[in-house]
Amino acid sequence: MSNHRLQRTTANKSNLLTGALTFGALTFYASFAFAQAAPTVTIGCVLPLSGGSASVGSQTKVGAEIAVDQINREGGIKSMGGAKLNVVFGDSQSKADIGVTETERLVTRENVAALCGAFNSAVTFPATEVAERYKTPWVVVGAVKDEITERNFKYVFRINNKANYDAREQVDAIDLLSKETGKKPKTLGVIYEGTDWGRSHAANIKKFASERGYSVVLDEAAPPNQVDFSNQLLKVRSTKPEALIVAFYTPDHLILSRQLMEQRLDVPFGIHSVGGGTEDPAFYKAVPPRAVGYYFVQEDFQIDITEVTKDPMILEADKRSKEVLGYPMSAYTAQGLSGVYVIKDALERAGSADRTKLRDALAATDIKSGPALATGYQQIKFDEQGQNTHAHGAISQNIEGKRRTVWPAENRAPGVKPSWPVPTWSERPNS
Amino acid sequence: MDPFILSFAVVNGLLQGGIYGGIALGLSLIFGVLRVVNFAHGSFLMLSLYLSFWCWNLLGIDPYLSAIVTVPAMFALGYFVQSVIISPLIRRERALVVEPLSALLLTCGVFLVLDNVALMAFGPDVRSVQLSYYLPSLMLGPIPVNIPRLIAALAAILVAVGVSFWLRHSHAGRAIRATAQNRDAAAMSGIDVPKVYAVTFGLGCAILGLFGALISPFIPATPTIGLAFGIKSFIVVVLGGMGSIPGSIIGGLVIGVFEAVASQFVTATSAAIFSLGLFILVLLVRPAGIMGKA
Repeated sequence: MSNHRLQRTTANKSNLLTGALTFGALTFYASFAFAQAAPTVTIGCVLPLSGGSASVGSQTKVGAEIAVDQINREGGIKSMGGAKLNVVFGDSQSKADIGVTETERLVTRENVAALCGAFNSAVTFPATEVAERYKTPWVVVGAVKDEITERNFKYVFRINNKANYDAREQVDAIDLLSKETGKKPKTLGVIYEGTDWGRSHAANIKKFASERGYSVVLDEAAPPNQVDFSNQLLKVRSTKPEALIVAFYTPDHLILSRQLMEQRLDVPFGIHSVGGGTEDPAFYKAVPPRAVGYYFVQEDFQIDITEVTKDPMILEADKRSKEVLGYPMSAYTAQGLSGVYVIKDALERAGSADRTKLRDALAATDIKSGPALATGYQQIKFDEQGQNTHAHGAISQNIEGKRRTVWPAENRAPGVKPSWPVPTWSERPNS
Repeated sequence: MDPFILSFAVVNGLLQGGIYGGIALGLSLIFGVLRVVNFAHGSFLMLSLYLSFWCWNLLGIDPYLSAIVTVPAMFALGYFVQSVIISPLIRRERALVVEPLSALLLTCGVFLVLDNVALMAFGPDVRSVQLSYYLPSLMLGPIPVNIPRLIAALAAILVAVGVSFWLRHSHAGRAIRATAQNRDAAAMSGIDVPKVYAVTFGLGCAILGLFGALISPFIPATPTIGLAFGIKSFIVVVLGGMGSIPGSIIGGLVIGVFEAVASQFVTATSAAIFSLGLFILVLLVRPAGIMGKA
């Protein structure tokens, strides 16, 4: 203060212009102080920003940041007097213990109103337990392990699919294509990463497969960060599954896909990947196109959403994603965006950043339009366990270098003809 | 078991084992001479993978030709790390045998710094070289053999033979072996020990530079890829005999073939556990490793 006074005295003694400038500076300080006093709502996101899943974690982070920018630009939380939204991130490194510590930090130190994250099921499962204990609402982003929304928790909400939906959809697609063509595989193989996500997916696939009359002839888990899949692929060769269900994160999926091509391993009814690596745009940059030809990819995101939506915020997010990441909006970016918009919607209705009130508002969520639906859902509404029962995925097939939605049949664009069974390596051009 | 599948498994195991052995060569060499366990070994491999990737991506250099860049660059980096970072530790503990633990912790720090700097600089994205030409698999009867992997496995054996020959017959090689046998006696005979150390460390890293270029056509570059190879390298080196050049290749082949065959009976995950069991068994019978001198 003494500094300002000194400045003003000097200004009076010199000329008017300096005086005006000083006055300007003072009003600037004043308005700055006022802006600081306006309420801000801090939310926290625990994401894998380093380690094996860092690529997807950083895309989700970009999605969340885009949403926060958009919300603040459009006037913040209106029911709270235009309160600005602020998002802080915790890096789980894809590790459960670190995810839990980061959650504690965000709740106790950053004093967040709500949490989101954490992509890896193995991290989300224990971290949401911490959130429940601290009575802080957690909006699950990305993690699909069934039990996350099967524990009677009050503060945990999941927008996206459960693993069990993913598995059912994959088997549904095989059923649909079999019915359409009259050609049906009899045997399935499952090869997956050996942590929570892969294991729960494989268990679900086996359950649905036996219900629908497929026999599972190969069941193979691999720990993350493999450098070679030739041993596993040799088992595929010897057990001869007619369709292969795959669940891996980006680096492992990349090596697996390349080696499938190198070894010219034919799986008659194709590779059915349940996202993970094949949802990641970085994956497609790093793999030769012919290695992923005819791949079926199940993801919690309609890959051609930007062609069907008219929502300006979603279109802008797609543009921003291209600027920041160098590729269009991915499933992960969309999930980050959606998560923040769901929290924003609840804040508007709660009119307060109080965690209990926010929790009640989240439980009453019923979103039917807007950027929260960036992942391609028609509605977001949670059941008593916090699961969005309107979540569904879409399955695309990579036909002639383009990923076209083939399931559900009603989402299939006119003129898209699934390739079923898929051509053998020797029938494909340039391989 | 089907003999076709079994022979296929052995071929896969030999290829992969050769690659493991080649990558472990540098670790074994550095330990044999400096008695320093280089925990940052995998990180140096990660850097060479990136170097090879950027050569291809920015300059359009074929990954195999990029070895011309990666080998000297990694030699320089290794020379630098030894003479600037590790050497003061060795000087400080001159009177004693270098305490392996403190050097291990130091290289562990180098590993953390390198991996995280790579994450900061390159981001978490997975990057991969894509060859402009297609190398068809060599058919060994009905078994397809992937050419890039075959090249890397054969290179491992060639490099091992070359390094052994050089250590045995060149002046510099004799100086390195003398230093490995007795540091103080070597110094008294007029050998510049700090320089021998730096050259050895550089050589160990240069071998990684070569393998970074050789495996980049089939192993994607990520900031964390080093750890997977680093841990395998430790197992290979301890199994084969710490400090033994042929031991490194033999250790790699044993682990590679054992895992490939075992994983046809159990899941590949369990096969890795069994290979650690084999590792303990070998060390019980031969505590210095297969080729190690006790």
